[in-house]
Amino acid sequence: MASAVQPRAFFSTGTGFGRVLGGLAQTGLVLWVVSVVSFGFLKLSPGDPVTVMLGSDFSWDSYDKLYHDLGLDLPLPLQYWHWLSRFVQGDWGTSYVSQQDIFEQAVLQALPVTLTLAGLSLLIALVVGIPLGVLAAVRRNSWADLAASAVAIGGNAFPSFYLGVVLIWIFGVTLGWFPTMGFVAPWEDLGQGLWHLALPALTLGAWYVGLIAAVTRSSLLEVLEQPYMDAARARGEPEWRVIWLHGMRNVLMPLVTVIGLQLGGMLRGAVMTEVVFTLPGLGMMITSAVQTREYIVVQAGIMITALLFILVNFLVDQTYSILDPRLRKNGR
Amino acid sequence: MSNMDHKVALAATLAAGFSRRQMLKTAGAGMGLVAASAIGARSAQAAPRKGGTITLAWLDAIDTLDPHFTMSGGSIKVINNLYNGILKVEYDGKVVSFAPDLAEKWDMVDEKTHVFKLRPNVKFHNGDVCDAAAVKWSLERVADPEMKSPHAWKFAQLAGIDIVDPLTVRLRFKKPFAFLPVALTGSTGRAGTIVSKRAVEQHGKAFGRNPVGTGPFRFVSWKENDSIEMVRNPDYFEAGLPYLDKVVLRIVKEPSAGVAAMMSGQVDGLSLCPFQFIPELRKNSKLSVYGQVEGNYSFIGMNNKRSPFDDIAMRQAVAFAIDRNVIVKQSYFGEAIPAYTCISPPMTAFYDPNISKTGRGQFFDMAKARAFRAKAKNQGEINPVFIVTEGFTGSGGMGTRNAQLVSPMLAQIGIKPKIELVDRAVWAQRRNAGDFDMYDEAWIADLDPDETITPEWSTGKPWNFVGYSNPAFDKAAAAASEIMDTAARRKLYIAAEDVLLGDAPLAVLAHMKVFKIMSKKVQGFEYVPADLLNLHTVSLA
Repeated sequence: MASAVQPRAFFSTGTGFGRVLGGLAQTGLVLWVVSVVSFGFLKLSPGDPVTVMLGSDFSWDSYDKLYHDLGLDLPLPLQYWHWLSRFVQGDWGTSYVSQQDIFEQAVLQALPVTLTLAGLSLLIALVVGIPLGVLAAVRRNSWADLAASAVAIGGNAFPSFYLGVVLIWIFGVTLGWFPTMGFVAPWEDLGQGLWHLALPALTLGAWYVGLIAAVTRSSLLEVLEQPYMDAARARGEPEWRVIWLHGMRNVLMPLVTVIGLQLGGMLRGAVMTEVVFTLPGLGMMITSAVQTREYIVVQAGIMITALLFILVNFLVDQTYSILDPRLRKNGR
Repeated sequence: MSNMDHKVALAATLAAGFSRRQMLKTAGAGMGLVAASAIGARSAQAAPRKGGTITLAWLDAIDTLDPHFTMSGGSIKVINNLYNGILKVEYDGKVVSFAPDLAEKWDMVDEKTHVFKLRPNVKFHNGDVCDAAAVKWSLERVADPEMKSPHAWKFAQLAGIDIVDPLTVRLRFKKPFAFLPVALTGSTGRAGTIVSKRAVEQHGKAFGRNPVGTGPFRFVSWKENDSIEMVRNPDYFEAGLPYLDKVVLRIVKEPSAGVAAMMSGQVDGLSLCPFQFIPELRKNSKLSVYGQVEGNYSFIGMNNKRSPFDDIAMRQAVAFAIDRNVIVKQSYFGEAIPAYTCISPPMTAFYDPNISKTGRGQFFDMAKARAFRAKAKNQGEINPVFIVTEGFTGSGGMGTRNAQLVSPMLAQIGIKPKIELVDRAVWAQRRNAGDFDMYDEAWIADLDPDETITPEWSTGKPWNFVGYSNPAFDKAAAAASEIMDTAARRKLYIAAEDVLLGDAPLAVLAHMKVFKIMSKKVQGFEYVPADLLNLHTVSLA
């Protein structure tokens, strides 16, 4: 196998209908474990929502009432059961901070913001990262390789909260080119939306650029050694065709794997980026909810994140069979 | 007596602690005129431009827009633009006073009975009339023990509310209640803000997300972690106001993001600003920095219930070992004054501007600190646990700076605090449970000594987290809250404070400025030193 990273087959149990069932069962199991663990950890963390909610107007009287109203006086397994039984039915509860339906808040309001940010960042990372990686591989050990590696490592090394502040300072405050806060939905106003997302997407994308460039470079270097590359050249194909068609085709697999694997990093970066740029996405929602110890909102955020992970893994698996015809034999 | 003299006289009396009985008998009729003349004075200047949208970065937390349940100063600032109180807080640049808002006339029949004549033709945003019945219902909503409003204590002495006629309400109290003006202002008081009964019944728990009041702006929307929008109330009772068509509050969690937006002109103002940004912002010629020393004090609380600070000499040693000038310079970037006691400058009738010369209160005196330390039971080095949170940075506070500055000062008298930096939720939980030796706090946006020392330091009161108890203090503070005569009140508060600061359950640090930043194109903003951000007089150039 040519790829540097072994593709994992997350959903490849059995065939056809059985495979789908198995996948669903696995998904359910993973989500259940995530829900138990996160519920437990949230409850274990010090600080409770009631003291935060009461703020400076704290009194033990109002404390006890609120504690009871929020159902926090029930035994933990019962609290968990109450939450789970409603959650699976789509009743995610009402936020006691915003008095809003949590499903609406998390899925309809926050999630699209985060997905837009992540998608745009990924796009930037691919558009910048792949050519950078190719350049570095083709001109191996030249100044171009060095420069591309420096950009890649720099982007990867800069924490997004720091890079965000630097970009805000240069492009927002000093030059005044881009807005530094707020979200405008691109599907409502494309120009304004992209303009507002430019700096956050660049911030989040920068981290991915490094990663993608590095993987592209190392995989392509390996591919360049392969006999079929020489064969292509011997056939008289132009160099760009050799690299971009025959070479990159074989780089895609490790690239897709890395993108899927690093989704966690992407979401982690999104949390920071959203806070720095004041974007009302999942990261902001989870951060605020952690600060106010609003367990059910955090829990909703974690569940969505877990689902995203599973979904991306599923998509990655599907992509493998598209990218590598040899894998299609399995299960057909 | 001209209207202006009249206003000053009335304001002084109201601010001076409400020995207003004969004053109101003679002057009450003039109150409506006062309000009218104030508007007249405004329109006499260059006519403000009507219309436009103001965008403000909102750095402080907004919990709910239901005034009877909010616990956040950030909400109060918004609430004051959506609702009115019976009275409001005014500021003429020198004196904080209580002026009529929904009330047109205030009469005191005796020390326990207050009669308010309401403005006619005032409507809620949903079209309902704001009359005596609406006011009674609203006040009773706060007072009702079933409702469990956190502000119910402000009406604990309320005996009953009568509707005298459709525009007159009578409030009967069990005891004379000196704090009433603050309770009724609807700003820091919160309890006297009038809400729409129909809207409360319609929205139930979600009323705080669908607020309906009588104020200059109507609520439009609240997008979680994003923004709150309000539009002009065309039926607002102050003729010609407000000027702005629309107000957009952008909710910002990270203060530096707000400051960047302010400096790059994306927003027209900041709802508050941490001290560390002020020097930079003051240099910017496009911005106006509003901020004076407000009704607050920061302090270090010491746990009276356990060793080592159950020892009064140890606490006194701490109180005198802290150099407040260093704190003011380095923790507050010079934007504060050293505190000697808890009562702060805006409480004009009770604050002594020359307190530094009286020898009262707490101040830096290392010799004294050493002498007290020598009397302490534990003569060895001690390592008290000092809980600190970064959370204050967002609300204009000091973060960890106080703890870092105080530690080397205390080290000189053999006290080396173990600083534990925790997040706000943990900090609040440990504070409330008394799980600390020292903690860092500030009581803010107070207008009367009754709210600035009484619930904080009286025996068994909920905010007395250090577990302080001295009957002499309790007695003086309680007596002061039931006396209407300012001079007598003042004497009692001085006595109470002398007991309190002598016992040193706290080491008082500073009275701080609280900031609002506005772009120069924002005009007519009337700063009030009670952490208010009222937009009804604001226009855009």
